Amino acid sequence: MVSLSDYLILSAVIFCIGLVGIFINRTNIITLLMCVELILVAVNTNFIAFSHFLGNEAGQIFVFFILTVAAAEVAIGLAILTLLFRNKGSINVDVTNSLKG
Amino acid sequence: MMNTFQFDTALLLVALPEIFLLSSIVVILLVDLFLTKGFKQVTYYLTQFSLFITGLLAFNLIGHPETVIFSNSFVLDNMASVFKVFMMGATMVAMVYSRHYLTQHSLFRGEYFVLVLLSVLGMMVMVSGYSLLTLYLGLEILSLSLYTLIAIARERSGAIEAALKYFVLGAIASGLLLYGMSMIYGISGSLNISEISAFASDANLGSRETLIINFGLVFLVIGIAFKLGAVPFHMWVPDVYQGSPTSVTMFLSTVPKIAAVAMLVRILIDGLGAMHPYWSDLFMVLALLSIALGSVVALMQTNIKRMLAYSTISHVGFIMLGFVTGVVTGYGAATFYVLVYVFMSLAAFGIIILLNKKGFEADQISDYKGLSKHSPWFALMMLIVILSMAGVPPMLGFYSKFFILQQLVSAGFVTIAIIAVVFAVISAYYYLQIIKSMYFEDSEKEIVVSAPMDMKLILSINAILILVIGLFPDFWMKLALSLF
Amino acid sequence: MLENYLPIMVFIFLGIAFGVGPMLIGYLLGPSKPDEEKNSQFECGFPAFDDSRMYFNIRYYLVAILFILFDLEVAFVFPWAVVQSDLGWFGFIAMSVFLFLLVVGFVFEWKKGALEWE
Repeated sequence: MVSLSDYLILSAVIFCIGLVGIFINRTNIITLLMCVELILVAVNTNFIAFSHFLGNEAGQIFVFFILTVAAAEVAIGLAILTLLFRNKGSINVDVTNSLKG
Repeated sequence: MMNTFQFDTALLLVALPEIFLLSSIVVILLVDLFLTKGFKQVTYYLTQFSLFITGLLAFNLIGHPETVIFSNSFVLDNMASVFKVFMMGATMVAMVYSRHYLTQHSLFRGEYFVLVLLSVLGMMVMVSGYSLLTLYLGLEILSLSLYTLIAIARERSGAIEAALKYFVLGAIASGLLLYGMSMIYGISGSLNISEISAFASDANLGSRETLIINFGLVFLVIGIAFKLGAVPFHMWVPDVYQGSPTSVTMFLSTVPKIAAVAMLVRILIDGLGAMHPYWSDLFMVLALLSIALGSVVALMQTNIKRMLAYSTISHVGFIMLGFVTGVVTGYGAATFYVLVYVFMSLAAFGIIILLNKKGFEADQISDYKGLSKHSPWFALMMLIVILSMAGVPPMLGFYSKFFILQQLVSAGFVTIAIIAVVFAVISAYYYLQIIKSMYFEDSEKEIVVSAPMDMKLILSINAILILVIGLFPDFWMKLALSLF
Repeated sequence: MLENYLPIMVFIFLGIAFGVGPMLIGYLLGPSKPDEEKNSQFECGFPAFDDSRMYFNIRYYLVAILFILFDLEVAFVFPWAVVQSDLGWFGFIAMSVFLFLLVVGFVFEWKKGALEWE
């Protein structure tokens, strides 16, 4: 039997991989988008696990909304990326360094 | 099974401002789509009109008894209505200023106004959110519109870069906030704010429960601090302020702050008020760091938008200090502060936009040299705004700082109040730099104010009100206090 | 008060360990003896004639963006369809409003020419 804490540990691990991935990633911005998705997946895992063990559907409904919002978020992220590519000709992380003070 | 689901349509009236705004967004989007080139101004007037009507509807609901509808996820109380009225007013002013900027820089597009309205809708949902789900959805409607709004200047690589940074850090912030929400949901078994509150204030809460709530609480505080732009989660603020088109910077630095404070009140005070001893420590550290860093780093800026970004960070610190006090009057002082901040910030960005010309952004502090000779009236307006931001009496900005400090001292946080005052004095120095370059330096460059009459008028009223309301702040302070 | 944040500290350290650890272990422990055979192409038996990280035409992204939005919004229709008979007219009208908003978005993208391939 898989217990609640197993799910929570799994989601914490995914969450950390996503978070660390954002901060140590120095190459491609698409990878950043993937890491953001990993964070959201971790949250979804949490909500579904809690919802199952509490016997309360509210968490699953929340997951539905997170999924659709994540889709909208990725769409906007990709749109910004294409604009960045048009402007700079590259989508490497190191092209985003012109704003300094 | 027969129709077990009941719904009273009369309850929809409670959400009338939101429903009206959403309908007008749909209408404006479609109307703009079929307008020919010469009639694009229609979109602007429709936007102002729908904001005005929405504000009127929200104003009408002030004094309505507290009602919770839509399966306990949407609340109407005085705080929600008053905040909505203020947001509509601020957005209308921001749109007047924006129009000049957009026409000067050929960014005048229908989508701009639709996106602004969408973000306003998101903020209204946030202000009225009474479950973690509605708060999250409102926040996302707001953030997604703002990312797009920045990227509307698609040929400027600075704007795209700002949009990307805001997007990535905003997404992380949402992720952290959601993780905290999932923990709170897991332990309390509910998404509803009042049920969470009932759970958290239960006297026989075990240490395990307290621990898990605390764990979630840290993520919630970090997420909110990200959105507010408090140190050490402020990295996006200066870049986004500098890179975005000035009209977008003005919008995103003002109105969303009201919504962020509303979300803070809903989650941390309405929901987890019983946990105040735990989160107020975090808030204190974040607030002091913000005030310190905002005041010191702003000294080295030459770009006025970037300087205002750091000044925002230190203002956010003051707002957070109001919540540290843990008393209702302190929360009222923080609310008063955020409303005053929005008012001052609108005027400051309004003057930056006023001096904009085609192909010229007045975003360097040196661009303000000799403003008092070329346009003495607007130099005077800028003087009022700057003095108010620095907290010089009798401007409005002085009273907002004063109320916060008063509440801090009476709640026993004397040391913190003293530290805050010291940094406020340091920050006065960089405000004085602008005044110095306006009044005591000269430049060969001619400064021409080409803005339309309506913008000049509204901007003057905006700045003069900072002085006039500063003479009678009591009414507004009482209003802010009555919200809690 | 400070000891309340101990779990967070543990979480942060474990988190960093989980993120950085496996990469570090692979880097330190993995034997690294490259030779010509190992570095040569493995797949299909012939050398690749292009970089696998090639650029896609930007229009694919546009189609993907539009697809992903409408694709996931449909997820709301399924749970609604299951309980539609209990919800009655209210549910029907609510879903109509939702779909109407999607149609408005669709009209917008069509009129803007986002669906034109050329």
